[in-house]
Amino acid sequence: MAAQNPLNKILKTLSSIKTGVVLLILVVIASAVGTFILQRPTTEGDQIERTYSPAVLHWLDKLGFTDVFHAWWFVLLLGLVATSIVLVSVDRFPRAWKVLTRPYKVPDSHFRAVLPLQEKLQVSNADEALEIVSRAFEKSHLNPERVGSGDDTSLYAERNRYSVLAVYIIHASLLLIFLGGIVDALVGYKGFLMLNKGQTVSEFALSDKRIKKLPFALRFDNGGRENYADGSPKKWWSDLTVLEDGKEVLKKEIVVNDPLVYKGVRFYQSSFGTSSEIDSLTLIVSPKSDPKATKEITLHGSVPTAIDDDATVEIAKFIPDFVIQDGQIYSRSNDPVNPAVALKVISKKNGASGTWIFPGDPQAPKIGDTPYEFTHKSGTLAPFTGLSVSHEPGQWSVWGGVLLMGVGLAMAFYCVHRRYWAAVVTDPKLGQVLWIGTQADKNREHYGEEFREIADHIRAELQLRSAANLGKNKPQEKSLAHA
Amino acid sequence: MARATVEEHPQKSGAALLVAVTLGIVFLLFVAFLNTVKPAPGAPPAPFFTESNLLYVALILYAGATALYIGFGVTGLDRYVKAASFLTMFGFVANTVAAGHRWYAAGHPPFASVYEMLLSFVWTVAALTLIAERKFKVKVIGTVTMPLAVVGVVLMQLLPNEVRPLVPALQSTWLHIHVTLAMLAYAACALSFALAMMFLIQDNMKTETFQAATSAMVSAVYVAIIATRFSAWGGLNLIAWDYENKEEVFLQRGVRLFVTVPDLGWLFVIVALAVLAPLGFYIWGRVKHDESKYIVASRGVFVSIALQVLALGFFVLRARSGFYHSADAEGTFQTSLAASPFILSGIVSGIFASLLYLMMVWRRSDLERLLPTADALDRITYKTIGIAFPLLTLMIAAGAYWANRTWGSYWSWDPKETWAAITWLVYAAYLHMRVTRGMRGRWAAYFAIGGFAVVMFTFFGVTYLLPGLHAYA
Repeated sequence: MAAQNPLNKILKTLSSIKTGVVLLILVVIASAVGTFILQRPTTEGDQIERTYSPAVLHWLDKLGFTDVFHAWWFVLLLGLVATSIVLVSVDRFPRAWKVLTRPYKVPDSHFRAVLPLQEKLQVSNADEALEIVSRAFEKSHLNPERVGSGDDTSLYAERNRYSVLAVYIIHASLLLIFLGGIVDALVGYKGFLMLNKGQTVSEFALSDKRIKKLPFALRFDNGGRENYADGSPKKWWSDLTVLEDGKEVLKKEIVVNDPLVYKGVRFYQSSFGTSSEIDSLTLIVSPKSDPKATKEITLHGSVPTAIDDDATVEIAKFIPDFVIQDGQIYSRSNDPVNPAVALKVISKKNGASGTWIFPGDPQAPKIGDTPYEFTHKSGTLAPFTGLSVSHEPGQWSVWGGVLLMGVGLAMAFYCVHRRYWAAVVTDPKLGQVLWIGTQADKNREHYGEEFREIADHIRAELQLRSAANLGKNKPQEKSLAHA
Repeated sequence: MARATVEEHPQKSGAALLVAVTLGIVFLLFVAFLNTVKPAPGAPPAPFFTESNLLYVALILYAGATALYIGFGVTGLDRYVKAASFLTMFGFVANTVAAGHRWYAAGHPPFASVYEMLLSFVWTVAALTLIAERKFKVKVIGTVTMPLAVVGVVLMQLLPNEVRPLVPALQSTWLHIHVTLAMLAYAACALSFALAMMFLIQDNMKTETFQAATSAMVSAVYVAIIATRFSAWGGLNLIAWDYENKEEVFLQRGVRLFVTVPDLGWLFVIVALAVLAPLGFYIWGRVKHDESKYIVASRGVFVSIALQVLALGFFVLRARSGFYHSADAEGTFQTSLAASPFILSGIVSGIFASLLYLMMVWRRSDLERLLPTADALDRITYKTIGIAFPLLTLMIAAGAYWANRTWGSYWSWDPKETWAAITWLVYAAYLHMRVTRGMRGRWAAYFAIGGFAVVMFTFFGVTYLLPGLHAYA
């Protein structure tokens, strides 16, 4: 009757392992396609347009093949996988739950007939036999439990019962990971931020070009790069400060692999470079009236710096790549290959005056005149830093899922649910026998061997006991200890 | 047929091959160390135990082991297998010292470049081979894994191997965890592949089926080479090599310069036909139910081996020397084996696969005698995957965690990531089929073999064929 209902039919199909495996294979194929066809989110510029002809590209775009992992049908496929996982688990969980909460402790005659790993040993005294089994189980680090009473007493022992839950734990962990992915797809964002030294921002461009406002501001204080001896980069670092309502609330030096996290937003060191702005300039100054009295001063940005009691100097203009034409200074490019610096001197006595210095070109003509002689010693350009920004609140669900999956896999592969039964029953051929049986949910060969060893031990004990009983002499403890 | 005739011969002592292999090893070692012991006049004496020397020793020993396994294939003498196992062990020791030296010299575990990863991979494969031989008594597992190790070490000799300092993105403990897990997982997958092959032997899979599979695999190698590299007028396009900087020549960023080696393309076409012919005969026989075609196909494999060796010889000779023209640039350029590591390993793998088939033809009964039962192999394959799968899971998780710390995203559908996930899904499907639907035997073995093919693609194919973030490896 239930099979006629189309909804039940769909549910039944989705909850079969076969469907699950087919879905897995479909995901595999779709993912593989997504790595062979160029994907829009990960290719730069017009590479896609250059690779595929317009007609092909039109169809690829239309079918979502140029962005497989965000296409509606791929999401649908993942949704079906998730549904299938849920339905399979719902379908099978009650059985596992029964094993877990109501273990099958007393083997009935049907079970005794079909259990593959079992042994029958003739015994005369039921209590004595169970006593021997109990000792043998204990010796194998099993904790036997007496079930029933009187003639119906039987023994039951088990290990790692909880491992029946392993599959459900793994499936739950997958759902957690999916959940994290969905959360991040819905509310997470990613973007990029470029900051010059000293710059403060509170918004940035997302990867889809939209502008995202942050509930706080971020300032780039300083940054730098360290190199190996061969010139390849060893470390990039950026000093960042988080500001809220103008107050500094967090300072951190970030490097690649170690981001700044504030209010769930992460800032990663992504790229680094020097801008075409001057950061500091060290000069040797001497008054023209007294050329011997040299002095070294360092200028930062456009902050006026005192030369002596009378005058201050500041950087008025910085041209990274200059060219002189008709006595005028022009900027040629933004590459700091041939810089020119305009200095402004303000003297209380002589008023303001200006001059240019050309650190890379000593032969350049003198322009401007001040009461001081300036010689360039060293200078640094202001660094800029490129930060990846991301907000992925779902990741905690993902990491939780990963940990849970680790637990589940360990349980599934390395914890074996083993059960042992022993009962004294009447066999139609052999008469009164001790029946012992075992079941392991994996690695059956190994545990079968172990079971045979236990059985052999019990058999030897029983023989010793019956020999002792025949002799009417009972040095029981000794014989047990010996065995 | 061949099998029947060989079995009639009385068992030989087999001393000749043992002596030959030993002499060969001693000779090669002597030649190798002569170079370093007697340095050029004026130059400071080269250190004796350099990493490349050690690797060379490992290569020779692994190759010796392979030779002995093949010798076992020809003669069926157990002592060859024992001797091969010994050579494997010594090769492993040399490999271990080389890896340790690398670690010491670089100051970080050897996982940062393709070269270092191969070093670790080969080491793990050798370790697992020894474990499988001793613990699981799969004595002839080296027949499959040792050629794999040899191809790995040969590749290593070609790849740039100078110690490079780690760029910032790679300075992370998580990277080391990620790559260690990857190597362990991949090596476990390699072992499950070898075990599945052994299973197919024990499961009485027909020898002609092996022939078809071997021919199909080798054909795929040559068809792929021709499809991607055959140029007009019968040349073969190879990447130009800059001997000074030891790197490929680039026209612009991401665009390599190809040179055309004249006539080599025709040779590859002939070889491709020679390896396709046995496959064709097999299919013909299958369709017509005519067993006599299988015999023709089997002989065709012999012919194809000769031609494959010829192709290898010419490829090596012409790639190592000579200046060639390019369609994209003026002038002539050199190329090198190092510029085409995958064509080379494809050819070498093809030859090994064909030789393994010969072993099947000649020595099947001896293989069967030395191997555990089909049931046991089926179980061990499953157990190996039971080890590989959690390792794969943890590898992906560690990689995701590292990516999250480095790029700000734990999953970005980068091709390497995607293919790692695909590998994981394939093995997940295997486990589901096995545990819930009781998949055993043939299909389980096919799955294990297919899973390893996916692993190989993830390891090599993605790095060299698909672009992505995993530019480091």
